[in-house]
Amino acid sequence: MDHSIGLRPPVSETVYVQTLNLICGALLLAAVLILWRRELAAIVRLLVVQGVLLAALAALLGAREGSSELYAVAAGVLALKAVVLPAVLRRVLRDTGEVRETEPLVNVAASLLAGALLTLLAYAVSRPLVALAPSPATQALPVALAVMFLGFFVLVTRRRALSQVVGFLLMDNGITATAFLATSGVPLIVELGVSLDLLLVVLVLQVLTARMRLTFGRTDLDELRELRD
Amino acid sequence: MNLIAAGLGVVVAGAAAGAATGALAPARARPLATGLLTTTVGLGGVLAGAAALAGQAWSMTVPGILPLGAATLAVDPLSGAFLLLIGAVTVAAGVYSVGYTGPGGRHATDDDAAAGAAAAPGAEPAGQRAVDAGTGHVEAAASRTAQAVLPLFVATMLLVPAAASVSTLLVLWELMALTSLVLVLAEHRLRRSVRDAGLWYGAMTHAGAVAILLGLVVFAAAAGGESFAALRAGAADLSRGTRSLVFVLIFAGFGSKAGMVPLHVWLPRAHPEAPSHVSALMSAAMVNLGLYGLIRVGFDLLGGGPRWWGLLVLAVGGLSALYGVLQASVATDLKRLLGYSTTENVGLMLIGVGAAGVFAAEGNRALAGLLMAAAVLHAVNHAAFKTLLFLGAGSVLRATGLRDLDRLGGLAARMPITTALVAFGALAAAALPPGNGFVSEWLLLQGLIHSLTGTGPPTVVVAVSMPLAVGVVALTAGLGVATFVKAFGVGFLARPRSAPAAVAVESPPSMRAGMALAAAACLGLALAPVAAAAPLARVLQVMPTVRDGAPLADSGVRLQLVGIAGSMSPLLIAIGLLVGTAATAALARWAGRGLPRRVAPVWGCGGTRLDSRMEYTATSFAEPLTRVFDDVLRPEQDVVVTPYTESRYLIESVRFRHRVPDRLEARLYPPLLGAAARWGRWSRPVANGSVHRYLAYGFVGMLAVLVVVRLSG
Repeated sequence: MDHSIGLRPPVSETVYVQTLNLICGALLLAAVLILWRRELAAIVRLLVVQGVLLAALAALLGAREGSSELYAVAAGVLALKAVVLPAVLRRVLRDTGEVRETEPLVNVAASLLAGALLTLLAYAVSRPLVALAPSPATQALPVALAVMFLGFFVLVTRRRALSQVVGFLLMDNGITATAFLATSGVPLIVELGVSLDLLLVVLVLQVLTARMRLTFGRTDLDELRELRD
Repeated sequence: MNLIAAGLGVVVAGAAAGAATGALAPARARPLATGLLTTTVGLGGVLAGAAALAGQAWSMTVPGILPLGAATLAVDPLSGAFLLLIGAVTVAAGVYSVGYTGPGGRHATDDDAAAGAAAAPGAEPAGQRAVDAGTGHVEAAASRTAQAVLPLFVATMLLVPAAASVSTLLVLWELMALTSLVLVLAEHRLRRSVRDAGLWYGAMTHAGAVAILLGLVVFAAAAGGESFAALRAGAADLSRGTRSLVFVLIFAGFGSKAGMVPLHVWLPRAHPEAPSHVSALMSAAMVNLGLYGLIRVGFDLLGGGPRWWGLLVLAVGGLSALYGVLQASVATDLKRLLGYSTTENVGLMLIGVGAAGVFAAEGNRALAGLLMAAAVLHAVNHAAFKTLLFLGAGSVLRATGLRDLDRLGGLAARMPITTALVAFGALAAAALPPGNGFVSEWLLLQGLIHSLTGTGPPTVVVAVSMPLAVGVVALTAGLGVATFVKAFGVGFLARPRSAPAAVAVESPPSMRAGMALAAAACLGLALAPVAAAAPLARVLQVMPTVRDGAPLADSGVRLQLVGIAGSMSPLLIAIGLLVGTAATAALARWAGRGLPRRVAPVWGCGGTRLDSRMEYTATSFAEPLTRVFDDVLRPEQDVVVTPYTESRYLIESVRFRHRVPDRLEARLYPPLLGAAARWGRWSRPVANGSVHRYLAYGFVGMLAVLVVVRLSG
């Protein structure tokens, strides 16, 4: 939904659409690569890339709308998702000393296949949404949805606590992207609230990971199986 | 200034102050402070209810208080009747609680119970008991939590009839259930049975709330709005199936709160195990809200329905009345007896409501109005005498630590005032003149009997069901007399059957004052029920299929039925009884004035060395009844004879055990509970502790929802 309100937008239509598609494509690619890579350090780097892309998306929408608030949101997203959270993750990585996601519940080849199916599903289920208000931004909605699905998939199939955090962040990236694309940018206050929540969750998960490592010597989530009634 | 608003303002402010006082005040000041604040809350309810019954109306919307939107309150005469009732019960219970929760006195513990029957299996470790063995004094009912929750409980109870939207009603309903559950559990450290009772009560009240929630949600969705005004407007457009579904669901839900059979199982457990002033509040006030909900939704919001609704309510009411009074007549636990008696009286009210529904569906407004008025009046009467009786049972419990009638006795000499007050309550509960229970049961019977003598021949359903209902009410009344003769005679007269009963002392003044207030209400209702004629007519105006002038006419001291021939004057009956009794006594004295006198034990049959083991006990008194209703009650008896080891002809001991279990509970509930437990065991592997599996459930569930939405969209 682009409200140009009669004025010539600061960014030309073609450039806007091309950049938007590029950013969304790169977002999806990064998500799929996270599924593919098993080096935890590489996965964190991919998350940094996604954070930068999300900030770029917010900035692009800001340029399009001519809204300084969205620039502020972009800066916030960049700081949180490309700097703070990856730093936290690297610290967990350094503390636990686990470098690879060993033995995921679903192997890499099957994961990629599932990723493809989930992406198709995302396109299928978001068609009514797109049809509500067709615009370049909403056309890209399925991508955001697919990123969310991939994040959930990582959450379900990966064993290491750090991978769980990664899956969670991936999901959140998908949700953020959905919010940006569906509403042409979210208000600063909403984004601020969501970011604070996210930071808190990641910090809690970091503590949990540290405790798990202290208790079990590793961070395999299935160690928690004993906790049921 | 609107008196209803003022009254409800007092309720809310009093509850807040009472909760704060209960939570913060030092233990010594707590009973007096919270007791008086609870009484204030009750006075607020009385004020609001009386104003509403006098014809005032009031409504208010508080936006943004509930998560789903605004809280809506409105008070009409029907709400007013129940506000007045609950407020009055609260006043009596509040005054009473000052003494009951104060220092001194004994309360039943497992130790006391163990002396009479075999100890509960797996009795708790002694360390958990907060019992001071020296005096047996326990302050569980005076604990900080119980004292802080009491004002909240009565306030939510008072606000339920004022709720005017589905969400407001449900929130208040659940708050009421929650606070009452906390109060039921107040003495959980003393007796294991309290925990069982709490579990049963929690589960049943939750199931009932779910039924109400489902019913009202279906109703609101179909009517297109959740305020009562929207429901009233939309009810006419509902399909017949939806209306009946809504009615059956809310009947089950509200009925379980009212304690109707077969959803009554929690009532004879929870009401006795709560501290006695809470028992009175639950049994006299809270159960009536079930009746209120049924009338409000069935007759006001849905605006009446087909005849089978009425027949359903009538049948369940008849079953509840009979089963309740039968169990009460064989019960030996005083408070359990009163709990079953509550089921009986709720059954009588349901008979009135159900018959009113039948006649409303047939268009006979005169009878429908009369029967509905009888049901509401019986709710008020029952509240008055049940408050008095539960408070009396609490006084006995506090003085002796006993609830078992077989071990009581001889209290008339030691607790004369309590005995006199309870005697009056028992008279009312037995539905004998000049008690107040008589008036409403008479109205109920008049309505049922005149169903056949009205204009034109009665329909087949009426011709069959109403005589049956008359029979049920008559049998219930008869058994009720036996029940309360037993409760009073065995519990208070004769000689004490145990040491605690022999050393009982009269209750403190505040408890006597609380009981006296309830007794005064009974007396007022018994002698001047004509005063209720005009308010009852206003209550009936709320119900579109019932309203039709006033069912009762106020002709001086006589209670005159309108539309059918019948009148009675409770005042004249009372005066007649009084004069008759005095005349008989005077005559006997005059006739025997010249005869020689000899002082001997009463009922001694010439014997002079009577002891308490020769007395009738509650069990022996009820034995003929147990025998007559053997097929229904199925008492369990076992006799264990233990011979000496040396010779099997020499008997060392004989052990006899007799109990009357709740047969409906024993037959209906174990299969249900077993099925639930099996289902739980069967589904255990689903939750195997793996975080991944839980996440996968969520993921697959989300995808499935998305796909279904996409496919159906």
